[in-house]
Amino acid sequence: MFNEEFAARPADSTTPDVVLSIVDLHVKFRLRGQVLHAIRGISLDIVKHETLAIVGESGAGKSVLMKNLCGLLDPNGWVDSGGIMYEGMNLAAFKSEKDWSRIRGKHVAMVMQDPMTSLNPLKTIGWQIEEALKYNQQLRGSAARKRMLELLADVGIPDTDKRSRQYPHEFSGGMRQRVVIAIALACNPKILICDEPTTALDVTIQAQILKLIHDLKEKYGLTLIYITHDLGVVANVADRIAVMYAGDIVELGTCEEVFFDPRHPYTWALLSSLPQLGTKKQDLYAIQGTPPNLFQPIRGDAFAPRNPWALAIDFQHRPPYAAVSLTHRARTWLLDTRAPTVEPPSAVRSIRTLFDRGAFAGDSARR
Amino acid sequence: MALYIVKRLGRALISLCLIIIVVFVLLRQMPVEGYFAAFDKMTPIQVENGLRKLGLLDPLPVQLINFFGQLVRGNLGISTRYRQNYPIMRIIAQKAPFSLRFGLIAVGVSIPIGLALGVLMARRKGGAWDRMGTVYIVFMQAVPSAIYYLFLQLYGTQALNISLLYNPDKWQTMILPVISLSMPSVAYFAMWMRRYTVDEANKEYIKLARVKGVPAMAVWFRHVFRNAVVPIVQLIPNSLLLTLAGSIYVESLYSIPGMGGLMVDVIKRQDNTMVQALVIIFAVLTIVGLLLGDMAMALVDPRISLTKKSEAR
Repeated sequence: MFNEEFAARPADSTTPDVVLSIVDLHVKFRLRGQVLHAIRGISLDIVKHETLAIVGESGAGKSVLMKNLCGLLDPNGWVDSGGIMYEGMNLAAFKSEKDWSRIRGKHVAMVMQDPMTSLNPLKTIGWQIEEALKYNQQLRGSAARKRMLELLADVGIPDTDKRSRQYPHEFSGGMRQRVVIAIALACNPKILICDEPTTALDVTIQAQILKLIHDLKEKYGLTLIYITHDLGVVANVADRIAVMYAGDIVELGTCEEVFFDPRHPYTWALLSSLPQLGTKKQDLYAIQGTPPNLFQPIRGDAFAPRNPWALAIDFQHRPPYAAVSLTHRARTWLLDTRAPTVEPPSAVRSIRTLFDRGAFAGDSARR
Repeated sequence: MALYIVKRLGRALISLCLIIIVVFVLLRQMPVEGYFAAFDKMTPIQVENGLRKLGLLDPLPVQLINFFGQLVRGNLGISTRYRQNYPIMRIIAQKAPFSLRFGLIAVGVSIPIGLALGVLMARRKGGAWDRMGTVYIVFMQAVPSAIYYLFLQLYGTQALNISLLYNPDKWQTMILPVISLSMPSVAYFAMWMRRYTVDEANKEYIKLARVKGVPAMAVWFRHVFRNAVVPIVQLIPNSLLLTLAGSIYVESLYSIPGMGGLMVDVIKRQDNTMVQALVIIFAVLTIVGLLLGDMAMALVDPRISLTKKSEAR
């Protein structure tokens, strides 16, 4: 059950529908003469038409991991080892903008966090969508315009002809995010990365945007990757969840498995801090301490210093992946046969009842 | 747009009137000797007669109204000391074309060079262009212009085998003054262009443009460069005016009969009417420069809504 080979080749890699496969990826950055180990050996398969959510606190490496898929890594960062296999190409070996231009748009598109800054302020939104159509679907002139208006209608923008001639500043945040989604769709991508697409929006708009992305995923047959730190969002949209901590995926499973049967202490801690699980007149649970300094080499389990259930071995050796089911694995010594039995905190055990009672609002976004 | 321009013009006119009033009132506090070429040899009675003739003994508001009346007719008054009893308008009409010609050519040369240098510097921060450009900009800012102007004149005229001074009949003699005037402007434009280009290149929408499959060169020209130039546009008219007014040293080095040294000259000679006229002219130029800058800005940036603020939906 605990051999390293199994860890390197995750359980779901045998399924034929894997579109993209990240294999033992290490990413480093050079900052002020020091080397930061941002991604520490991640292996992850992305399955066709799934919605995968990557969760974790700020600095866990969620965005860095996804930037590797579209060549947006900052110039001071590099892939140290490992590969990203996509349609027979190794994206991890891509160096030039020319290489990436084969992938960007047509294959991987992205919706970014802040719609207020992700549109060019000096171009009409119609122009910006048509630009994507021009480079990815070779549409020009009236054909491009026709398709652009269709896309605007698809993302729920009324009065498309008039709106397409307007500039970003004439749109509200939610409407701008719809435009950004329309641009992503204009690329006709196979994989769409949504980097915290609702973080910058207010709560009423969030559910609308999530539903829109979900509907468009069905319509266009997209493979979706969500990056988020909001587990409430994840609960409603994801098929699978990857929990990231300190540049590593500590737990990976289907949405149900991670929420109702979490195995990694970090996942427990993360779930316990959900406001939906708080009880009245008690302080909300917060994870003690801070994430590890990735400038220093990590010894043992990165979460151990903050982990109240940490075993002695957690400070010595990095735990291997342990499979809980065919689709569920976690990187913790607690799953070792020699480990003592540890019960997850009671708040985590009560998630299912809360879920059934509809504590995670906005469930309408899902199906 | 038209309404905005009218409004903006109206506001410019009001500020101009205020400036004229302030300048006029202040200059009336100056010693009266500034109105006469040979004050020392005049008796008090002659002085009083002279002042009466010039209308300077009227109450201040009356003088002001008379002055505005003259201004509307395009009359800036007559010089009293600089060129005795000579209309100021004619003095300026003779001198302005030289300054204007040199100023326009210098700005015309320095904009493309400055913008190109700025972009080259910004493309690779810390690269060879960036370092060389920084050295150039720091040099221009730190070293007094007199030093490199003199060097340029001495060695430039030798190298080109032309005379030291400007000669209107020989176009070659224009080269060195134009280069001298352009050198600081190039540094100015390069500095701002580099800064705005770096700003734009790091914005989120540039990332989105890249990730939506736009080729690198197209991203640079259509998104980064285009947007970085916008704030520069506003600087151009004023830079032209600065070149006009700040060309004192270059004009005197090459003895170009322009307007550069005029202001200092008339202040030294206490020619009150000339000082007044020149301050007004420079005020007009500055206000027109700002106005042109704002209008150019409005043309290239759709976010500046000129007439009414439309709500985002």
